[in-house]
Parts: sequence; C-alpha cells; structure tokens
Amino acid sequence: MDRKRTALGIAAAGTATGVVGLVLLATPAGAGETPPALPETTPEALVQSVLDADVPALAGTVELTNDLGLPIPGVPSSDGHMARVFTDGEGRFRLALEGERSGERTIVGDGATTWVWDSKDRSVLRFEGMEHGVTPQDGLADPATASRELVELMRKDSTITIDGTARVADRPVYQLVLTPKPTERTLLREVRVSVDEATRLPLRLEVLANGQAEPALSVGFSDFDTGAQDPALFRFTPPAGATVTDGAQGSKHVEGNALLEDLDLEVVGEGWDTVLVGKVPTQIMSTPVPSENGDETDPMALLSQFGSEVTGEFGTGYAITTKVGTALVTTDGRVALGAVPQQVLAEALATK
Amino acid sequence: MTTMAIPLPRTKAPIARLLRSELRMMLRRPRTLVGLGLLAAVPVIAGIAIRIAADGDGPVGEGLSTLVAGNGLMLPIFSLLAALTMLLPLVGATLAADALAGESTNGTLRSLLVAPVSRPRLLAIKAFGIATVTLLACLLMAATGTITGIILLGGDGMLTVSATRLPFADGLGRVLLTALLVAVQIWGVAAVGLAVSAWTDHPLIVLSVALGLLIVSGVLSAIPALDWLDPVLITSGWESIGEVARDPLPWPTLTEGVLRAGCYILIGYSVALSRMLTRDG
Repeated sequence: MDRKRTALGIAAAGTATGVVGLVLLATPAGAGETPPALPETTPEALVQSVLDADVPALAGTVELTNDLGLPIPGVPSSDGHMARVFTDGEGRFRLALEGERSGERTIVGDGATTWVWDSKDRSVLRFEGMEHGVTPQDGLADPATASRELVELMRKDSTITIDGTARVADRPVYQLVLTPKPTERTLLREVRVSVDEATRLPLRLEVLANGQAEPALSVGFSDFDTGAQDPALFRFTPPAGATVTDGAQGSKHVEGNALLEDLDLEVVGEGWDTVLVGKVPTQIMSTPVPSENGDETDPMALLSQFGSEVTGEFGTGYAITTKVGTALVTTDGRVALGAVPQQVLAEALATK
Repeated sequence: MTTMAIPLPRTKAPIARLLRSELRMMLRRPRTLVGLGLLAAVPVIAGIAIRIAADGDGPVGEGLSTLVAGNGLMLPIFSLLAALTMLLPLVGATLAADALAGESTNGTLRSLLVAPVSRPRLLAIKAFGIATVTLLACLLMAATGTITGIILLGGDGMLTVSATRLPFADGLGRVLLTALLVAVQIWGVAAVGLAVSAWTDHPLIVLSVALGLLIVSGVLSAIPALDWLDPVLITSGWESIGEVARDPLPWPTLTEGVLRAGCYILIGYSVALSRMLTRDG
C-alpha cells in the first residue's frame, strides 16, 4: 500500500500548493518586504531631481484606487486597471485607457498630431500638435506627469520630507511626503509621492486624508519597464470605417463628467485650501432627475437628502462632506468644492 | 511431462488505448453531441444578430460587440466570451458530473474500479476526457465563429480595440489564444466539479455545486467590502480575457487568469485523487 500512501501524499501536496498559489495571487506585490537601502538624499535635492528628470522610453501599466467618495473634476471614479502607457523618450506616446466592458480609448501622440480613438463608437479625433486631446482625467493616467505637476504646485505650501524607501512596481523608490503647513486649512493629511531611484520619475501618488489609514486616492504603476519601445506604437492610422473628426471643431472630447465641465469652475485660494467655485447652469437646476423607482425628483430635493442644510453669508445651501473633501451647493445654484472643511467653502462663496 | 502453468503477467492496458476509448465513449453520448452542436451554433446566431443590428441604425451594443460589425474575426472572440459566462461552465460541470458521479449512479463505476487500471490512472483518463471535450467545444466555437464572421461580417484582418489592424494570420492567432484561455478557465470549473463528482453519487449535486460556485463568486465580487477576496475568486479573471482584443497584448493580466485557473485545477484534481484512493472498491 506504499504506492497508495505516496499518491495520497501527492494529492495532499497538490491541494496545499493550489491553496498557497491562490493566497500568493491575493497578496499584493511587495507586501512584507524590507525596504531597499538607497543612497541618502535631501528632500530638496530629490524634488529638484524629480522636476529635472527626463521621461525615458518606457512601458507601464497604471492602476488606480479611488476611495474619495465624491466626484472630483478630472478623477475617474472607478477602481482597478486604468491605463497602459508607452513613451519613446522623445515626446511620442501611446496611452491606452480601459473603457467599459473591454472597450478602449487610445490616445496616440506621434510627434506632430494627437489622435484620440474611442472603440465604443469607432470614432477618431484629430488634433494638430501634441498638447490637445488629453483631458485632466486622461492626464491622471500618467502618474509621473500628474505627480510632477502636483509637487511643483504644492511645494510652496508644504513641508517636504523623505519617509524612507519602498518598492513600487518592483522598483526601489524614495517616499517623498508633502504635508500641509500648519496654516493650511485642509482635510488632507499628506500626499505621498514614490520616486523611482533610477529614473527619478514619480511611480505612485497617494493622497491621505486626516484619520484615514488607507489612501483616499492612489494612482501608480503596477508594471514599469524602461527600454526602447516598438516604434509602431507611436504611429496611428485611423482604421477603415472610423469617423475622423477634427478635434479643434468638435468638443466631443469632453468625456465623462459633462456636468462638471458645465459648472465653469474657478479657483479661489491656493495650496492645500484651494477651493473650486462655480455655478450650476439653471437648466440643470430645474431639470427633474429621474430616480430609481421611475419618479422624477427635483435636484434640490435630492441634494437635501444627501447633504446637510447650512446657512451663512452666502445664503442657504446643502453641504456634502466626505473623508477628503466637502462640496457645497447653494439654493441659487452656486457650487464650491475642495479638500477643505465646510467653513472654508462658505468663506470662498462669500468672497465671490 | 507436465505443463507448467506460466503465470500471466498482470496486464496493464496501454494508456493511449484507454484515452482513445474514453474519448470515443464521451463523444458517442447523444447529450455530448447535442451540447457541442448547440455551442457551435452560438457564434452563428450571434453573427446573424449582429449583422442585422449593424444594418440598422444606432450602436450595436457595448464593449467588444461594437467592434464585431464588419470585423469578422472578432465574432469568435465575442462569442467565446459570451459563452464563458454560463454555457461553457455548464458543459464543463456536466462532463465532470458524468465522469464519476454519473458512472456511480449507473453502477458502472464499480466495474471501473476493479478493472486492471490503477485509480490514479482512472482519474487521469477521466480528467483527460473532460479536458479534451471542453477544449474541443471551445475550438469548435472558434471555428464556426471564424467562418460565420468571415462570411457574414467580412473584414480585412482584425481590427483590435486599440485601433490597430492585425493581418489575418495574427487575428486567427488571437482567436486561438482566446479559445485556449477560455478552455483553461473551464478546466478550472470542471476540476472543482470532478472533486465533487468523486465524493458524491449524484450528478445533480456536482452541477449545483459547480454552478453555485460561479454564482457565489459573482455575488462576492460585487461587494466592495470584499474586494480583497477578488484575486481568489474563480470568475475574477474571466472578463479580462476580453483583453486579447487589445494591441499590444497585456500578458500580465492574461497570465494571472491562467495561474488562478491552474490553482483551481490543482486543488480540484488533488481532492478528487485523494477521494478516489480512499474510496471502497
């Protein structure tokens, strides 16, 4: 019966291997690893090297985790895989953004023209030059650029420190931490930027709110490889049967949150307590919102359900508060939002 | 003169012959043939529907289906993904249910267990039969899908989701890759089914456990608080098989799904093996 015992042993080992395999799949990469030892550097030198770094030829996959609990202009609300990024190091790029149910939006900058392809309706938008066609939402798909712009914007109002090292996308990184200066009135605790040791590119951006252990927003590479890319990636030929529109004429590229585009937002203040102030178009305020049970609800009635009523110098309104931000909508259709306590919003509305 | 009785060496049936006979037996069952025939018809029906929808106004659908019109090679991929949600797992689970529990109900498992075939080998033959027939089902769908797609929808090569155009041979490669990836996922379901099949005498229990597993996985993946569980759920990689339509191919995503299915195959097969070994003859 030795053979039977051996076979039983194999069966047990097989079951165990399978279970371990599943557990490994569920374990986030890099968990429990000791942080890599990297040469010492000062926060100032690190920030400067980040701002000076050139983007090399690279291919990467970007993932996003969004726990904001509030639609913010330019931030996609869904989790998971978000985009694949390819650059050739000379300014040409391909950005493949995942759409609903295996659809895809592809943005290709071939050096002279930017092409925006949407598989949903097989449409192509053409923009002369390399600066167009990339909405803020798409811009976030490239954490390197997004974090660089953020660091540049926030460095004046922040205390910048280096909080050790870590691994992102299996590469050693410095953890650059931006903390608001005590004078800043914000709900945010810190912004962490993971800077790649070799390329000095930010590989991950995390936003943490007060009293939260997990980041409210995290955008970062899950795969990152430098090296020459296939030049074919940076060419684009509109496929036969696709409708090609000149981007300068059509405004169709305003994807996603058309409502937020309509708000006509203006920036009040600077740094961490920046507030966006806008006005809801009157036709939206008076259009009944169809609700789930088929009835129509007045937008204001809906707001009063979600938000708490507040009054102040600005009049009366409803405030919706989340972990990382507050939004305030007044009864006369003015809107303010920011990563700040409600009072700051009220002041911003009053000064407008 | 005495004749010496030469003891006959205990014969081992050649494995190739066993596998062939198992396959022949499975493929002769009317329900297998009907199942395969119905599956083969799925891409044809989908092709006709999309052709009609494409001739009318308005969008054909969402996701991959928008790319099928005028792009024949996308039809088999679309059909395989559609069948992966329920039809193909049903086939895999039925085959697994028949393999051991079905034999047990018929009373034929007993004779198999005393036949001159070791039990691990018997299980291997059964698993081989299930794996081959499910792969056959996927390839059959790929074949009818490709033919229907080319005839009804046409298209020059394959237009990928990323707006690149692949030559016909590459497109066909993507179709085959989809069939393989889908087959591996079905093997995962069938392996779980086989484990249950080894424990019970009732094929219906196998079916309900296998399909129940899929439904529970679907429900669990829809609960945001249980997101950490997602990488373990058997169904979580299924939707991402649609990424074969992207260009360049996102290999990390695709291999993760194969690894997950591999774990399920390993667990299911091992549990079935341990039960087969300890079962009374």
